[in-house]
Amino acid sequence: MKAVGVDIGSLTTKVVVMEDSRIVSYVVDEIGDEVEQSAKRAVEHALEKAGAIRGEDVYIISTGIGSRGISFGQAQKAIATCLARGAFSLFPAARLAIDLGAETSTVVRVSEKGRLMDWANQDKCASGTGLFLHQVAKLMNLSLSEMDSLPVPDRFAEITNTCAVFAESEIISHIHRVPPTPKEEIVAGVYYSVVGRVISLVKRVGVAREVAVTGGVALNKGLIKVLGKELGFDVLVPEEPRIVAAVGAALIAAENYERGANS
Amino acid sequence: MTSQVTENKLSVIVRACRLVRRMLRADPEARQSQFMYYSMLEEYFARILRAKEEGGFVVGHTVFFPAEIIYAMGLVPMHTETATWTMALFTGECSDILASGARLGMAQEICTPHRGLAGAFASGALPRPDVMLWSNMVCDNTAKSGELIMEVCHCPGFFLDRPFKRSQHEIDYLVSELEDMVRFLEEKSGRKMDWDRLSEIVARMDRQIELVRKINELRKKVPTPFRPQGFLELLTVDYLFPGQPEALEYLETLHRELTEAVKEGRGAVKAERFRLMTLFIPPMYLMGFLDRISRQFGAVSVIEPFFTYWGEGRLDPARPLESVARKSYMIPEMRMYGPLDERALNAIVRCVEDYKVDGAIYYADVGCRHSCATIKLFKDILAEKDVPMLVVDCDVVDSTVTSEDEVREKLEQFFELLEER
Repeated sequence: MKAVGVDIGSLTTKVVVMEDSRIVSYVVDEIGDEVEQSAKRAVEHALEKAGAIRGEDVYIISTGIGSRGISFGQAQKAIATCLARGAFSLFPAARLAIDLGAETSTVVRVSEKGRLMDWANQDKCASGTGLFLHQVAKLMNLSLSEMDSLPVPDRFAEITNTCAVFAESEIISHIHRVPPTPKEEIVAGVYYSVVGRVISLVKRVGVAREVAVTGGVALNKGLIKVLGKELGFDVLVPEEPRIVAAVGAALIAAENYERGANS
Repeated sequence: MTSQVTENKLSVIVRACRLVRRMLRADPEARQSQFMYYSMLEEYFARILRAKEEGGFVVGHTVFFPAEIIYAMGLVPMHTETATWTMALFTGECSDILASGARLGMAQEICTPHRGLAGAFASGALPRPDVMLWSNMVCDNTAKSGELIMEVCHCPGFFLDRPFKRSQHEIDYLVSELEDMVRFLEEKSGRKMDWDRLSEIVARMDRQIELVRKINELRKKVPTPFRPQGFLELLTVDYLFPGQPEALEYLETLHRELTEAVKEGRGAVKAERFRLMTLFIPPMYLMGFLDRISRQFGAVSVIEPFFTYWGEGRLDPARPLESVARKSYMIPEMRMYGPLDERALNAIVRCVEDYKVDGAIYYADVGCRHSCATIKLFKDILAEKDVPMLVVDCDVVDSTVTSEDEVREKLEQFFELLEER
């Protein structure tokens, strides 16, 4: 039996296939025009990579903001539940997971048994999200990898975190200053701005060590460094931070299948 | 000052109440108390609409205002905030009256029931009152709203200054304020206060509070017998019909129905899974949805510490004005509004224990800075009792703040969290 977790976010679909509590394959695909079709293709791709045999039992749980739009699969689960489960499976010591996605940031409190205890999310403004970083990189004529490779200096530009549009205006004014604010100081300022927003979410659910950081933004080393500095301790980042919610969904799929098989 | 004339929304509410009663007739599970409730609501607003023809004197007043006095003088009360959110409840949105409020220069940050009600008067959605009464019993918005309504409606008004703290000295002061208010109303309306009638109303109000306490006792049962969002009826009856015979009749009927349900072991939902505490007012435009999702997940609001959970104390009909003054400090909301102290936290803790609460939902009205300041405080005290609290950022009447999908996502997530525990 293959347990499949599908996390459909704003930009990408993440699929994880598990067998006997082990990840056997995963894919991260960009979402096309048709969410359902993109997701189906991603699942087929992941199952193929996992070597699934035709006719083999497959139990699918979907999650993420796009999951409402899909008709296949056995059940849907809320993203925070899946994040808690996924983060705990990767880091059993983690009591907090911070998911930094393209359009939303979610902070999840995890119990000692790996269950969801509390969560808070920010989905009203792009500031504090991956799309904001993307926009900043474009504004500064940098690729995301170039942005990531910039050093994080101690001195940084003050950038607002209350509104992405105002933040952009501030960045433009830094670029056009005479002399212009150095790029790395602007980028560091953006990191502090994003992290400031995230920390306020963390405080809503309560700081609890250890902290796992997930989502595409966790791939940005500079931001992770600032986050650790602001929290006062290093955070845990999985090798592939984008698939954590899908891992959680796959684990729930396996449990549900077991429960069904035993009932 | 510009205003755009819209349809009188009270007529819409009256028609909607009739429609709901027709729908209830077709519902085999509908209770007698529900028919009574919608009849009362219809009559409340119809009476305001008829007032001009019948020579009635309409008294606009803000929330928690002692309407007992208005009733005792034979005047027609119009509870302004309830009128605003009842519009949202029945029409699904209030964009036109909010836009009208904006044209008056009311900032986006001002809470929508107040922004909406100023707009409603300016646009003709609410009929203009003959006088306006308002107080400082809740927040700065309430304290200032009356002045604006007076200006918009070109009507006289009276501001009831209710002291923040409670001691005999303050009660005496409030009684003197109420006496001034009675004189003001007598002068403007030409009607005399009927003190015997006020005593009768106070006696009935005392009975009304007792009945709500008894209904809440029944709500402690597992499964709880009262509908998932039924508390809104209790709240509205309290706001609109203090000490009125129809309120007693409604509450007695409801109490009887719930007693029978408890005897038969009938719960409000098919399979009760989550017993919830509701903090603050849910978005009115989502009430139908909230009822459906509650039933789908077996979630029921079993107690509302700041709406239906009356504290200690009785009213004394022999001292009617003093009783009205004392009641203003007994109102459940006052644990939260003034002054906020241990009473609020103690009420939460008692409710968690007595009503076997699994989780709490705080409908955080983004425009209400006063109540939103309590979110962390309440969340922390609930966490000490191992009760998770969901915060739903929303607005009581403005449907553009939070969509049904957003609320659904949050509630489903919260129910999953409760399920996992």
